[in-house]
Amino acid sequence: MHRRSFLRIAPAIALLANCGKSPGKIRLALNWKPDPQFGGFYAAPYQAHGLDVEILPGGAGTPTIQMVGAGSAEFGVVSADELVVARSQGNDVVALYAVFQNNPQGIMVHASRKLASLADLFKAGGTVALQRGLPYARLLEKKYGFDKVKIVPSPGGDISAFLADKNFAQQCFIMSEPLTAKHRGADVQVFPVSDAGYNPYTTVLVTSGSFLRKDPDRAKAMVAAVREGWRAYLDDPKPTNQRMNQLNPSMAPEVFAEVADAQKPFIETDETRRNGLGSMTEERWQTLIVQLKELGDIQQAPAADDCYRAL
Amino acid sequence: MDLEIAAGEFIAILGPSGCGKSTLLRMIARLAEPTAGRITIQPEEQFQTSFVFQDAHLLPWRTVLDNAALPLELMGVAREERYATARTALQQVSLYEAEDRYPAQLSGGMRMRVSLARALVAHPRLLLLDEPFAALDEITRFRLDTQLRDLWRTRGITVVFVTHSISEAAFLANRAVVLTKRGGGIKLDRSLDLPLERNDDLRMDPRLGHEMKLLLSAMEEE
Amino acid sequence: MRRLRSVIPALIPLLVVTAAAELAVRYGFVKSYLVPAPSSVLRAMIESRAELFGALLTTSVSALVGFLLSTVAGIAIAVFLSSSRAIQRAFYPYAVFFQTVPIIAIAPLLVIWFGYGTRTVVASAFVVSIFPVIANTLSGILSTEPALRDLFRLYGASTLVTLFKLRFPAALPQILTGLRVASGLAVIGAIVGEFIGGQGLGSVVDVARTQQRVDKVFAAVLLASVLGLALFGLINLVSYITLRRWHASEQ
Repeated sequence: MHRRSFLRIAPAIALLANCGKSPGKIRLALNWKPDPQFGGFYAAPYQAHGLDVEILPGGAGTPTIQMVGAGSAEFGVVSADELVVARSQGNDVVALYAVFQNNPQGIMVHASRKLASLADLFKAGGTVALQRGLPYARLLEKKYGFDKVKIVPSPGGDISAFLADKNFAQQCFIMSEPLTAKHRGADVQVFPVSDAGYNPYTTVLVTSGSFLRKDPDRAKAMVAAVREGWRAYLDDPKPTNQRMNQLNPSMAPEVFAEVADAQKPFIETDETRRNGLGSMTEERWQTLIVQLKELGDIQQAPAADDCYRAL
Repeated sequence: MDLEIAAGEFIAILGPSGCGKSTLLRMIARLAEPTAGRITIQPEEQFQTSFVFQDAHLLPWRTVLDNAALPLELMGVAREERYATARTALQQVSLYEAEDRYPAQLSGGMRMRVSLARALVAHPRLLLLDEPFAALDEITRFRLDTQLRDLWRTRGITVVFVTHSISEAAFLANRAVVLTKRGGGIKLDRSLDLPLERNDDLRMDPRLGHEMKLLLSAMEEE
Repeated sequence: MRRLRSVIPALIPLLVVTAAAELAVRYGFVKSYLVPAPSSVLRAMIESRAELFGALLTTSVSALVGFLLSTVAGIAIAVFLSSSRAIQRAFYPYAVFFQTVPIIAIAPLLVIWFGYGTRTVVASAFVVSIFPVIANTLSGILSTEPALRDLFRLYGASTLVTLFKLRFPAALPQILTGLRVASGLAVIGAIVGEFIGGQGLGSVVDVARTQQRVDKVFAAVLLASVLGLALFGLINLVSYITLRRWHASEQ
C-alpha cells in the first residue's frame, strides 16, 4: 500500500500505454519512485535468466494493478490488499513474490506527545494524515473511531506539514519517513499498523493470470531472478542504492543506506529463512480476505489460493 | 500653413488622402498637438467644441437618448435637463421617435444623425466634422447636408467641415480651402460665390458646377 | 422552447457513446475495472447519493467563491495594469505567472499557508482561474476605440469617468469571455485543491480511487463536469442579460 496521493488519469492511459511494446520485452511497473523497497528488483540478474526487463518507476498514484490487468505491464508491484480487491472485481492478477513479509505501514507521531499506542493517538485530538480509502485506514476507523481527530489526506512522503506541527501525525513506512524526519531534527515515534491486527504482504510482485498461463517459464524465471536480486541486495545494498539514488535524487544517500538497513527485518524473517525469500502462505491470504470482507471493501471473497502462486 | 477662420464661417477643407486634413481638425479640437507652429483662438475664452467623426461612434450599450445626452452627462448636467436638451437636438435631426432604441437597431444614416445631435447638445461654438457623411448613401447624404446647413444658419456656429467630396464642399460651405498633397500648405483658399440659402435646387445650378470646377482643378494640379 | 430543442442534437452523441460503453463492458470488450459500465456509474451515484451530493455542494461553494474572488481581483488588477504602459511592462509578466504555475506543484504550499480545508481549496480555485480574467479584461479595456476616448476628452471627462462610463462597458463582452474560461478553471482548481485539502468531490475521487471503485470515481467526475457546465451556463446567462440589446454575440 502506498503513498500514492495524486490522481493520474489511470485506467484509460493504462489501456493506451499497451501500444508500442517490443516483443519479448518484460515491463515491471513500480508503484513508487526507486527506493530501497525496490532494491531487489533493481539488483536482479534478469539477463542471466534470459529476460529482457524494463523497470518502469512509478510515483504518486501509479495504477500498477490496472496496468497489469490491462496488459500495459507484464509485472507490477502492488500491495496484497489491492490485489484481493482487484480480484474480487474480476481483474485476474496473481501474486508471485512478497518483498515485505510484514506490513511496514505505520503512523508516525511526535514523541513529545507521549502517546502509548494507536488507541491513544485517536483519542488525543490533533491531525492525522492518511489515505482514507485504503483498507488499513478503514480498519483503524472501525477500531478506534475518527471523531476525536481531524483526518486529512496523506501528503505522500512530504514531511513538511509533520515537521511544522507537533500535533500532526502522518501515514508512513516505518523504515522510511521517520528516518528522514529524524534527520531533520524531529523526535519521532512510530506505531505500526500491524499492531492493530492488519498485516498484509506489501510490495508484492504480481502478474496477470493470462501471462502466467501463456508464459509460465518466463514467469518462473522472473521470480527466480527477483529472489536472487533480493539476496544480493540484502547482502550488499550499496551499488544498487547508488543506481536508484541517481534515478531518485529526492532522498539523501545516507538516508538510502539507513532505510535499506532498517527494512531488513521486514524482508528476511524466520519464515523466509525456511521457505525462501518472498514466499507466501495461504493462511495469511485467507486472513486478509476475511478482514477485507468484514470491512466491506469486497463483496465477493476470492479464493485464497487463487490470489498467489509459488513458482 | 497660415489659416485664419472667422467666427460664424462655414469652411470646407478639401484635399487628397494623406494630406493631413483629419490631423488638422484634431489639432483644432486640441486632441492633438502641432509639431510646429501653433493654433490660437481669439478671444481666449473658454468655449465648447464638438466633433463629429466619420463613424457615428455611438456607445452601443446606451439608448439613442442617452447617447445624445452624453456630452451633457460628462459635463455634470442633471438628468431631466440633459434629456430635455437631447430631445430638442434629436428633434432637430428628425429622430425624435427613436429615442429608446439602441444603435444596433438603427441604420447608418440614423446613427450619424444621433452623432450630429450629440454634437449639438453642448451648444458648441465650434463644430468640427471629419468626413461625417462619407459612408452614407447619396440620398441620405443630401438630406443631412441640408440639415447641417440649416443648423448652421439657425445656431450661428463656426463649422469646419473636412471632406474629399468636391460637390459636398461646394454645396455646404461659404469658403473652401484646398490643402496640398503632402500637407502643410494651402493650394487654394476661396470664398464661394453662392447664395446664402442652399437647397436641393442648387445642386442643379450651374453656379455650383462652376465652383466645383475651380475646386477640382486645384485638387488635380500637382 | 427553441433553446430546449437546440440542446437535442448535442444529446445524441452522448446517448450513443453511453449505449456503446454499456454494451462494450457488458459483453467483455472492455474490462469493467478499467472503464465502468454506465449502469454501474448510475448505481454508484444512487447508492452514494448523500455523500456525492454533499461533496458536490462543498465543491460548488469553494469553486464559486474562488471564481468570484478571481473575477473581482482579476478585473481590479487589469484596471491597474491598464493605467500605464510602464506599469504593464513592470507587472504583467507576474500576472502570467498565474497562468503557467503548475497547480499540482504549489497545492502543497497552499496547504501550509491556508491549512487543510476550504481556504486552501478556494485559494487553489483562485490561482488557477484568475489569469484569463486579467488577460481578457486588460485586452478589452485597452482596445477601446481611440475616437471614443477622444470624444470623452472633448467634453472634459476625467480618467476615472472614462474608465467607468466608456472603457468598462466597452470591455464587457471580452470580460465575459474571460469569465467563461475562468469558470471551468475554477472547478478544476477546486478539485485539485481538494485532493490535497481533503474534502468535496476531489476527496471522493481520491478515496474512491484508492478503494478501486472506478464507478464511484466516474460518478464524482461526472458531477464535477456538471458543476463546470452549470457555472459556464451561468456566465452565458449573465452575458445574455447584459449584452442582449447591443452586442452582436447575443443577437
